[in-house]
Amino acid sequence: MKKFFAVILCKMLHFMGKLTGRGSSLPGKAALGICRDILGRIELPERIIAVTGSNGKTSTVEMIAAVLKARGIKVVWNEEGANQIEGIVTLALSHASLGGRVKGEVLLMEVDERYAAEIFEYLCPTQLVVTNLCRDQLTRNRHPEKVYEDILSAVHPQTELILNADDPLSSCLARGRGKVKWFGVEKCSVSADHPTGAYHDGAYCPVCKGPMEYDYVNYNHIGSYRCPRCGHARPTPDYLGADVDLEAGYLTTGSGVRIRLSLRSIYHGYNVLTAWAVCCNAGIPEEAAASVLSCYRLKSGRVQPFTLGSHRGMLLTSKHENSIAYDTNLRYIASSERDCVVLIIVDAVSRKYFTCETSWLWDIDFDQLNQLHVKKIILSGRYCKDLAECFSFTDLHNWSVQPDICRAVAGIRTRGSEDVYAVTCFSDRDKLLAHVERH
Amino acid sequence: MMEIRIIHFYPDLMNLYGSHANVKVLRRYLENMGCTVTVQRLSPGEKEPLISGEGEPDFVFMGAGTERSARAAMEDLARFDTSLKSWARDGIAMLFAGTAMELLGREIREPDGSVYPGIGLAEFVTEHQERGMTGDVYGYTELYPQAMVGFMNKSGLIRGVESPLLTRLKLGWGNEREGGPEGFHQGNVFASELTGPILVKNPRLLETVAAAVLTRRGVRLPDPLPRDTLGWEAYAVTEEQLRLRISEKAP
Ligand SMILES: [Zn+2]
Repeated sequence: MKKFFAVILCKMLHFMGKLTGRGSSLPGKAALGICRDILGRIELPERIIAVTGSNGKTSTVEMIAAVLKARGIKVVWNEEGANQIEGIVTLALSHASLGGRVKGEVLLMEVDERYAAEIFEYLCPTQLVVTNLCRDQLTRNRHPEKVYEDILSAVHPQTELILNADDPLSSCLARGRGKVKWFGVEKCSVSADHPTGAYHDGAYCPVCKGPMEYDYVNYNHIGSYRCPRCGHARPTPDYLGADVDLEAGYLTTGSGVRIRLSLRSIYHGYNVLTAWAVCCNAGIPEEAAASVLSCYRLKSGRVQPFTLGSHRGMLLTSKHENSIAYDTNLRYIASSERDCVVLIIVDAVSRKYFTCETSWLWDIDFDQLNQLHVKKIILSGRYCKDLAECFSFTDLHNWSVQPDICRAVAGIRTRGSEDVYAVTCFSDRDKLLAHVERH
Repeated sequence: MMEIRIIHFYPDLMNLYGSHANVKVLRRYLENMGCTVTVQRLSPGEKEPLISGEGEPDFVFMGAGTERSARAAMEDLARFDTSLKSWARDGIAMLFAGTAMELLGREIREPDGSVYPGIGLAEFVTEHQERGMTGDVYGYTELYPQAMVGFMNKSGLIRGVESPLLTRLKLGWGNEREGGPEGFHQGNVFASELTGPILVKNPRLLETVAAAVLTRRGVRLPDPLPRDTLGWEAYAVTEEQLRLRISEKAP
């Protein structure tokens, strides 16, 4: 009976929430209030795919869903992005019959890595995908090794793992397990010989803490590693990105299937490969999955065009407290060729909680902006002085500070016509969008 | 020109939360005062020519790492145990920031029951908990009147600190409890679990540490000390935000 009420309540609140545009976690929260173990009491689809990790979850899940749908498979997935337990409950119950049977062939969930234990307590994924483990929201997550331990303790023995062979940390989840499939990218045009970035989380082996060796890295510590002391090394990928050619804009798999990339970044390349691996693993023919993924344009895309006077602008939504998300966008700007102005805004560190913590700024490789076509950099928002202190240690000199976002934008509008790149977080992006012409 | 030698212990292994910025900002500050600064980055197992060849360093730094990295760091740091103690006695300035602070104590206890010894420069003992302790910190030191700000991100309760760096907290986690004293300070040894670039976030502490380095070398300090202007401006924002936060929380 509790189950019945939980389902009804969740459905009603979800329906009302849709009308009023409210968040997708409230209905689940109410249902959990009635029945804490509701996820364990409902009848779930046979295949349950959970995707977790630090970066790329949302994009990967969206692309998997697109492929499954294109193949006529009924997939229930958290399109609204709520990835904590309340959101997962909302997702499952809003797609359930009154008897509690989730109507779909596949349940596909983006799972917040911190809530994995709570979610998997009542629900056992058939597949768990871990995109990577990097520094992300350390004010809540403490550090990547802690996140690793949290996921490790949450994984059911019967769950098949689909892991990133190129990540020395999350690959450790496979230790002592049989059911593991690997995806990974070979050395490609953007690979470096050594770990890159402002810090070197891959410098030491996560198993024995001995110094690691790399054949190549594709970004930060993601690449082909080997620990001479304990033998922890990159496994051979089952799903291989044999060639990622960002100039030509495609990814060729180990089996020779070619996927066109809508975004020419290595990070996107990994997400596409991950989605392809998961779909192939679910029995979808390689070519069929590739044809949906080819040129697939993300709806959850973090790139938003705008106009600012005579400037063409592009908002590159990043994530505060996540240096790789910033590095991704800075790398994108560096690889563009037209003259540009870059506006970086750090105003509220988080939209969900209060903190003045800005030490993550020191993990960002701002020197990537040291390019001839980057004409000017403007630092704005409440914590612009923290940003400026970081910039004062770079080789860059063409930066200035304007705490007031409105004035910073107005200053760009009145001068020149270069491209504008705005880099900021979800929490701050509306503060920019309020002052530009949106498309 | 005064030559200043800095030893940066384990810059890759112990470099969470922007720890490396402490060395950057101190180096620049000393250079702006006319010093020539060399930084020796020391990795585990590496020989230490600077120390054995040319005598004592002027400043020793180690930053934050994961619990497992700190343990690995300690395995190597043990060989410096005598040196570190004699440097501390000689008034050489040191900063152990984040988890590195724990290694100065007598021992570290893990949640699984295992125990390993620290350097033993102080008598305190660290007990790692399953749950982390995180949150902004606002408090006071006896070194100067300005408030200290920062972020706590740790899993260790530190018991038995007799001379804390922050004697009074108005917000956040101290060594043993919320609102309790935080860090460790004795002579010119500074330690705090406050993560991130504590010297960047607290320009007054940067000045204090730099003064400790230079005074020991017999340098007469300029009055007033030079200011890291951007650092002070950033500090003002954080200090105000935290002060507002505290008054909001107050009943
Ligand atoms: Zn190893």
